[in-house]
Parts: sequence; C-alpha cells; structure tokens
Amino acid sequence: MAKNDLTTRNLMLDSLKQYAKNRISFNLLREHDAKNEIPLDILKEMYDHDILGVHLLLIPEEYGGLGGQTTEIYRVCEQLARIDLGIATGVFATFLGSDPLNVGGTPEQKAKWFKKIAQENKLVAYGATEADAGSDLVSLRTRAEHVVQNGQVVGYKITGSKMWISNGGVADIYTVLALAPGGPSWFIVEKGTPGFTQDVHEDKHGIRLSNTAGLAFDEVYVPAENLIGLKEGQGFLQAQAVFGYTRLMVAAFGLGGGEEAVETALEYAGQRIQAGGPLSQKQGFMLKLITPHYIRFEAARAYIDWTAKQLEVNNHGLATEGAIAKLYATESGNKAAEDAIQAMGGFGYTKEFAVEKIKRDVKITCIYEGTSEVLEMTIFRGRWQEHLKSRGQYYLNQAAEFDALHAQNPDVGADSVALGFRALARVLEDCRANKLTRHQYVTFMLGDLISEMEVAAVFTRQCANKIITEGSRFDLNSLCTMARVNARQSAFKTASEGLRLILGTCPAINTADLSQAVNLVGIEEKMRGLIDDMDTVSAKLREIFKK
Amino acid sequence: MIQIAQNCVGCGKCTTVCPFGALSLVNRKAVASNACTMCGACVSQCPVGALSLPASTAAKKDLSSYKGVWVFVEIGTDGQTQHVRSVGCELLSKGRELANQVGEELCAVVIGSNVSPFFAEISQYGTDKIYVIDSPAYAQYNTAAYANALGTLIKKYNPSVVLFPSTFVGRDLSPRLAAELFVGLTADCTGLAIKDGNLIQTRPAFGGNIMADIKCPDYRPQMATVRPNVFKKVVSAPGKMAQVVTEMIAVPVDAAKVRVISTQFDPPATGKKLDESEVVIAGGRGMKNKAGFDLLENLAAKLGGTVGASRAAIDLGLKEKDKQIGQSGVTIAAKFYVACGISGAVQHVCGIEHSDVIVGINKDANAPIFNVCKYGLVGDATQILPRIISQLETKK
Amino acid sequence: MHIIVCIKQVPDSTQVKVDPKTGTLIRAGVPSILNPYDHYALEKALAIKAKTGAKVTVLSMGPQQATAVLRLALALGADEGVLLSARAFAGSDTWATAYALAMAVKKIGSFDLVLCGQMAIDGDTAQTGPEMAYHLNIPQITFCESIDANGNTVVVKKLIEGGHQILQADLPVLVTMTMPADYVAKYPSFMAAHKAQDKQVLTWTDADIGADPHKLGLEGSPTRVDRIFPPPARAKGEIFSGSAVELASKFVEILKKERVVK
Repeated sequence: MAKNDLTTRNLMLDSLKQYAKNRISFNLLREHDAKNEIPLDILKEMYDHDILGVHLLLIPEEYGGLGGQTTEIYRVCEQLARIDLGIATGVFATFLGSDPLNVGGTPEQKAKWFKKIAQENKLVAYGATEADAGSDLVSLRTRAEHVVQNGQVVGYKITGSKMWISNGGVADIYTVLALAPGGPSWFIVEKGTPGFTQDVHEDKHGIRLSNTAGLAFDEVYVPAENLIGLKEGQGFLQAQAVFGYTRLMVAAFGLGGGEEAVETALEYAGQRIQAGGPLSQKQGFMLKLITPHYIRFEAARAYIDWTAKQLEVNNHGLATEGAIAKLYATESGNKAAEDAIQAMGGFGYTKEFAVEKIKRDVKITCIYEGTSEVLEMTIFRGRWQEHLKSRGQYYLNQAAEFDALHAQNPDVGADSVALGFRALARVLEDCRANKLTRHQYVTFMLGDLISEMEVAAVFTRQCANKIITEGSRFDLNSLCTMARVNARQSAFKTASEGLRLILGTCPAINTADLSQAVNLVGIEEKMRGLIDDMDTVSAKLREIFKK
Repeated sequence: MIQIAQNCVGCGKCTTVCPFGALSLVNRKAVASNACTMCGACVSQCPVGALSLPASTAAKKDLSSYKGVWVFVEIGTDGQTQHVRSVGCELLSKGRELANQVGEELCAVVIGSNVSPFFAEISQYGTDKIYVIDSPAYAQYNTAAYANALGTLIKKYNPSVVLFPSTFVGRDLSPRLAAELFVGLTADCTGLAIKDGNLIQTRPAFGGNIMADIKCPDYRPQMATVRPNVFKKVVSAPGKMAQVVTEMIAVPVDAAKVRVISTQFDPPATGKKLDESEVVIAGGRGMKNKAGFDLLENLAAKLGGTVGASRAAIDLGLKEKDKQIGQSGVTIAAKFYVACGISGAVQHVCGIEHSDVIVGINKDANAPIFNVCKYGLVGDATQILPRIISQLETKK
Repeated sequence: MHIIVCIKQVPDSTQVKVDPKTGTLIRAGVPSILNPYDHYALEKALAIKAKTGAKVTVLSMGPQQATAVLRLALALGADEGVLLSARAFAGSDTWATAYALAMAVKKIGSFDLVLCGQMAIDGDTAQTGPEMAYHLNIPQITFCESIDANGNTVVVKKLIEGGHQILQADLPVLVTMTMPADYVAKYPSFMAAHKAQDKQVLTWTDADIGADPHKLGLEGSPTRVDRIFPPPARAKGEIFSGSAVELASKFVEILKKERVVK
C-alpha cells in the first residue's frame, strides 16, 4: 500500500477534529482537569478501529496498522495537543512505549506485540525514567537478573522502580528499561504480572487528563522472549535511536498547544471592545502579545515539517534536529500560552477560558522527553563538533548559501539569515579560541542561539522555495513577510546575545572589534520596515482567525 | 478565464470585488489566475470597460416574441381545504409592478382540481389573465404532470418572466422546467426589478454574505423563485375579474412512475409559526447554550411571541432546524423582531429585513446586526434578558 | 444495484467572512468541506449499500482539490469516484453544471438511483438535482429526509408544506436529500482514510463525457452576474450601551414605545 498522501493526512485530521468537536467539550476537559482524572472512555473511543483508531498510525502495516509516516504522526500530535495535551500525552505514551519494539524488536516480537496492540487496542507505557535517571539514563537502578534453568537463561527477574510514567496506572503493556547483566535492556512487562504494581496517579500542575504514575517491580518475572531484540545491552542505543523522532512529536505538542492558546486569545480580542474598537485592532496589543508568537509558530511548523520529511528518508537519527525542533517549538508554545493569558487579562486568569489550562499543560513540553536545558546541551554538542570539524566553516558555508538565496529572492529575509550565520560562526570561533565553553551557561546559550538560527534558516529557505508548509493557513506572501521578520530578529538575537556571552566571560576581547566582527550594525540596519511587516502580519492574523 | 483588454488602467477596482481572489495587478495591469470561475462579478466594476466574458458563439434567440409576466400560483392544502398560498399573492403584487414597467400583461397560472373558487382572489392583485388547468388528475402535485402542463403553456404563450414561489412545489417544478427550456433560474430572490428590458434578480451569493444581481440577457423566459414574506401583498384592483383561459393538457404516462403512498400533515404547531408571528425573539451563537434559549422562550412567552434561531445556533444544536431564520431557513416579516447574540450575517439579515422593528442585542459593538436594527443594545444578551424578564414580571 | 451520489466541495460557510470595509469576501484560511447535504445523501446511499450490496459511485465537478471530498466519500465506503475537471466547466451556473453531471452519469453507464444533497451551502439554490433529472430523462423526488430502496423501487419520505409524504418511485430515479435537525455527519476512521487511497478516482474532462461545448461553462449558462454589492445598510438606528440593568430598562421602554406591551 502506498504511503499516506496529503489528502489522506487531512482526512485523518478532519476525522480527529470532528470527533473532538462532537465528543470532547470544554466542559468535559474542565471537569477532568479539576478531578485530575484521565478520560479513559475517550481514549478507548479514540483507539476504537471504527471510530478513529489513532494508535494504528504507529503500527506497521504488516501487523495490522497503517504504518504512519513521521509527517502524519506529528500532524496528529499537533491536532491532539490542540484538543488537550493530557489526552495527547496518553496517546503519545502508546506511540513512545512501542518505539523500543519498533527499533529493536525481532520480527516475531513485533508480530506478537504489535498485533496485540492493534487488535486489542492496548494502552502502552514507556518506562524509562527513575528518581535518579531522567535524561541521564546512565544512573539506571532497575535491575534485571537472569533466571537460569538447565544452564539456559529462560527469563529475568526485574526489581526496582520507575517514576512519572505516562499511562503508568492505566496501561496494559509496559516497555521497561532495566540493567541486565549484559547492560541496559528493554523488557516488555504486562499488567498483572506478579510483583508488578503501580503507584497512585500524580497530582500535577498540568496535563491532568494524562495518567502519570510510578511503577514498582519486586522480582517481577518476565520470560526471556520479552527481552526486546533478544540481546542484552542494546537499551541505550534503542532509546537514543528514536530521540530525533520522539522529540519532533513533542515539538508538535508545543506548537499545537501554543496555537490553540493564541487563537483563543485572538478570538477574544476580536470581540473585546476597548477605547472604541476591538483589542485585535490595537497595534500594541497585537505586536506585544499575539503576532510575534504566531510568527514563531510558522517558523516552528516549517522546521518540524522539514525535519519530519528528512526523517522519512533517513528513518532514524537527526538527534540534533529533533532537539532543535523541540526546544524551539515548546519554548515558543509555552511563552505564547503565558502571553495568551495576559492578552485576555482577568478572563484569561479564570478557568472559564481554556488558556489558563493550556498554560499549565504546555509547560510539560519543555520538560518531558528532555528538558530545554538538556536539549540546549545536546544541540550545542552536535553543532560544536561540526564547527570544529569544518574549522569554523560550518555556518559560513550556510551563510554563503543564503547570500545566493537572497540574490534570487530578496523578500524572505535570506540576507538576515546570512548575517546571523556569520555572527554565529564568529561567536563559536571566539568561544573556541578563548575556551569559553568551559562555562556551562555559555554552552546552554549557544545551543539556544544555534536553534534560533537554524529554524530561521529553514523557514526562510522554505519560503524562498515557495513551499507552504502543510497545515499552515497562510498564503505564501504572508509567510514570506513572517520569514523576513523572523530572520531579522533571530540574527539580531544571535549577534547581540553572542556579544553578551563573549564579553561577559572574556575580559580580553575588544568590544568595538567584536561588534564589528559579528556585524551588529549590519544586522541592525536590516530592522528597517520591521514594524510595518509585523503590522501586515497582524492584519492577516485578524483576517484569518476572525470568527 | 475572464478577458482583460489592453485598455486596462490598472486601477485595481476589480481585484477587490472578485469573490474568488482570482484577479491581481501585475505591472499595473489586471491579471486573472486559475481561480477565476468566470462569474462575471468584476465586469461591471471596471471603469474603462476592459473586462469581459468570452462572447457566446451560439446563435442568439429572437427574444422579442416573449411577452408577459407570469406567476405560478400554487394552490395549497392542509389536508382538508384548499387555499391560495399567500406567496402567490405576494408574487402577483410584485409581478404587477414589473408588468407595468414593461407595459405587458400579468398572468397567473393555476394548476389543480376545483380551483375556480380562487379566481376572484387571484384577480384582485391586478392579474390580467389566469391560465387554468383544472382536472382531478392534477389534484396532487406530481413533478412530471405539472412540468409537462406548465411547460406546454410556456412554449405556447412565450412569457418573458415566470415567477415561482420558493415552496417545496415551486423549488421542485422550476428547475425541472428551466432545464427543459434551457433558461436561467435564480433561486430565492430578495429583489426583482427591470433594467434595460432584463429582469434583475437580486439574491445573496457566494456563501450568502454578499448580494448579487443576476440577469439572463440572452434567454427567455426569465425565471425566478421567491420565498414567502419577501414581497408585500398589494390589492391593486379590488373587485376586478381577470380573463380566465382554460387549457386542457393530458397527464403524461411518466407521471405514474412516482406514486404517493400517504400524506401526513403535522398537527398544528403549539404556538404560532415563525413566519406568521408578530413578535419573534431569536437567538444566535451568543446565547451560548440551552439555558440561554430558555431565556428566549421565557421572554417570548411574556410578549406572546415565537422563538427562532440563527444558522450558527442551529448548527450548535440549540434549536430545531425548522426554527432557523434566514436565507436558508424561514423568512419572517414580524412587527417586532429581537436578535439576541446574533451577529447579523447577510444570510440572516435577508430573512428578517422585512420586519417592521428590529432590535439587536450583541456584545460586539461592530456586529453587522447594528447596521440593520432600529434599536441596538450593546451588551451580553445572556445577562440582559434575565433582567428584562424580571422587570416585566414586577410590572404585573 | 448501482447508486451514483453527486457531491460538492464547498467552503465551510459558517466561516465565510466579509471584510466590513470593502464588502468583499475574506477567503484566506477558510477550510473546504463536503457539502453537508451531500454528506447525508452519501450516508443514505451507503446504508442502502449495506443492506442490498449496491455499488456506490461518487461524482463531483470542480478543481483538482475537490479530489479531497471524493476521497472522503471513498473512505466512508463509496466504491469509486469520478471528478469532472476542466477549464471548459468554468463559469457554469446550475444549468451547465447539471448538464455536465448528467453527461458524466450517462458515461458511467448503468445506474438505478442518483442521490444528491438538496442543495449546496455555498449556493443554496437546490436546482442542480432536478435539472440533472431532466437531462437524464428520469423522474425526480426532492427534499427527502429518508430513503429506502428494494428491488425496482424506492420509498422516500419527502417534505411538503406543513407535513410530509411517503412516495414510491420506479427506478431509475433521482432523489435529493435534506438532513434532519439532529444529523451528525460521520467521518472515517484513520484506517478507512488510509485504505481509501487505493480506491480509484477517475478524472474526466469535457471531452471524456462527450458534451456539447455550447452547453458547458459560461456558454451553457443562461445566468450572468450583473454586479455584486454589500447588502444595503438600513438607516442606522439608535445604539445604546450600559450595564445589563440599564439596557434591560431600555428594552422595556422600547417595548412600550413600539406598543408591544402596554
């Protein structure tokens, strides 16, 4: 069967939207949020093959699924997040939980477990995190000891505990990371296995519709055939292999949650009359609280989609890109939700409107699947290597590419991207020459600047190539205006922040020389017309989201 | 695609009126894109006449032999007795006006069984002639029978205009005939006028938020349907009797392909029908929920009125579909109409504009409802209504 | 039994907006949907399919993007899709649209039942169905809420002024459907959407259906748009603002002034 095309993806998304419209009212969300309760009946319906069957997306076709590609999975994640991030997390946990199987399982294991998940609509949980082992899985404490019969390893006894496991209290199947004699390994543990218990559901700040619980293993026996891949010591590799992919899904969560918050605020602003006109007509209101966020969403969308398309070709990997997508989209979504409350004033602060809940929910996207700080470090490490390997040419080469793009298409901010890349290259080079990366703070911030510039670059390049990212509601002209605004701001942030970091850590460097080297004046010069462009975007936003 | 002549001055007027966004300026000349549907909306907007639709290559009909304004007057029944549907009288009144303008006859067409008792009533709207097909075979509406009968008459007498009521019968019959006669048909007109010998038919278009004037310059007869309550009845010739022309037309055999098994009339609705009520209270999306609509019911009960709803509220399931007011619902002509939490999209306004007094209550000061109402209250209807109700209660 | 359902892609009209200043339509970002009446007609055809094993073909006319609604119909259970798409169809009013659709139905060949939605929500004319029936030279029944087919006849519940009728008709016949108030449209599951990709959607042009070019597009359309304009505003009335209590008192005043209450 062919890969799903755009029409099919849109059909799936429409079905999901219609289901949510008919079945998941704001009141239902609010009640479950207040009660801190997972809407299990909703999840079961979403898994029902005749209603939606969302989980079939992640199951390969040969095992009764529909073998969803990265693009449709991220778009479904975005839409799920727009409905409710707690529900989204519940669905995502099944995606995530079956990933070790997908990456490392033997054909027989895949056949057995995927068929079970597909046909019996099983909820899955991903059991990796422990009290002392979050993103840093090296401190793993849960053990799996051999059970030997007749000189053969016939099974394992798992002992230890996991915490903050999504679907922890409600899943039917768990993939659990434990330290076997041969190294960290994934095991499949079914609910009800003797010695396996689940803790009570956590009382969380947000995503309260998602069940989160600790798991306890007291000499839990699993047969050897439940060792994923039938080989010990593959656990970290199997976990790492999917980071690019899973983080892209969380990036889509940040995007979806943020969009929902800003669009809610924008709808409100269209009706709220202040000083003779609707708030949405006020320049200050829009440029401060609404427009910049939506520009970042479109940039994030372009980047996520571009990464998804790359992943479809390369299957797995792209850990740095996945980290960039997640860092950028979730931080953008989180800040946007914060401003959505501000935009709605007192109303936004009450539980009568969704933005307050979204704000609490979306925060988790900056935490799970790698905190923003872990991601900054990952991004820095990935690109630092490139910088060193290329002897400082990595970003200079890209700057040249964008100079050429600008010559072809002067309306997409490619000139600013080129300036930003040159500034970034210079900042990285100064950090190398002066050994500034001994400051951990500098490495975090560099990770942030790298993600800022790389996202701006992809957005600008997509616009230059006249690509409207699927799911975007804007026309190409508006997207170009947005790319222009975004590129200028990213370049400015890179240059000015880079200056701050270097001057703040390295007293020997001459301020005037450095600011000339990163061409701060040249970047500032590009700011001309910026506010006009933002006003244009504001007008477009009002037009598109007017109710 | 629309044709754009060299004399285009690049003023850009056409680009703003195109309902499909197909026109843009390139190097100060208008250019049409693939989105053009050749609807023709831009043609009249061009100050230098640079826009045109491709000319027809078909031979033009001679239209001069088509004369007279016809109205298909539907005889209704409630299962017991027959009556002239009021919309027929409204159309005759409008038809009289149009016929006067072109100096032609106004004719009614009546098809049915035992319809002669209605001739006097039909005549008083200034009807010059009544074409009658009266036979038990036409007692019940049947598409094939009626289309054959009316089609035969039209082909025999060549009227210039044929107006139909926008009832279930009119909307079934008129398109079937339009297809057969190869003529244009405009549904649910809200205005009719004669311009340069053509019938200008006004109706909301392109999704119902903008008005369009439609004409059929090269085809006769010009056919249109009109909903009840759009035009006013005007008795212009009291006591006058129209000339009655009786025709005998046999029912075609095809008519037997569709058979009525049973007919059921709804029991008279509790309360008045929307289009017959003097006071109508309607709610839209802004009433939020069923509790909001309970407020409307309460107020309507106090004022002896009937409750209706906008399309948005119907879509939200707040009211039954037959209570929808607007272009795709019921057209009302109330003495006192209150729109609560209704923004006032064109499609809604078309259904209420014949009301005497319109009151709008809406949170949004820019809501279009405030452009059509006599009194506008800027505020949340769900907050204001309970207070109106309590004030009316304390009065008693 | 072979049922042909005619469907149309329309802008989601609840979201069509007008620029208050220029009076023109705002098109950006308005999603397209399957016309709800057609959606209902399709579901009725699929119900007949479930009962009798009928084959269901969906037919649409429009730009290439209209493939999306055909795909939706296939995902819901229709067997084949046909899209009429060509420049020659541009400018079609209901007459020319009905003619082209009827020619396509004739090309599809043997059929027993043509089902249409009562009307499209972007035009509200309710004309295309009956006009098609004429071109196909078959009887029509319009404004039906329910339909049941068996063997050689259909039985429908048709709305009439103030009530309804139960009608029986010989096949072939064209029936237009109107949905009940509580209708909630069905959407396909993910798997059904996925599988619909493998079903066939044929694209036919004017040449494929052997149509008379004088009866297509603008040439075959008797109606012309003379002008479009924003609805005339009534004389602006009195507008009041204030607290809920003040506005309630104002309303009661108005009731007295207009003699609605004494």
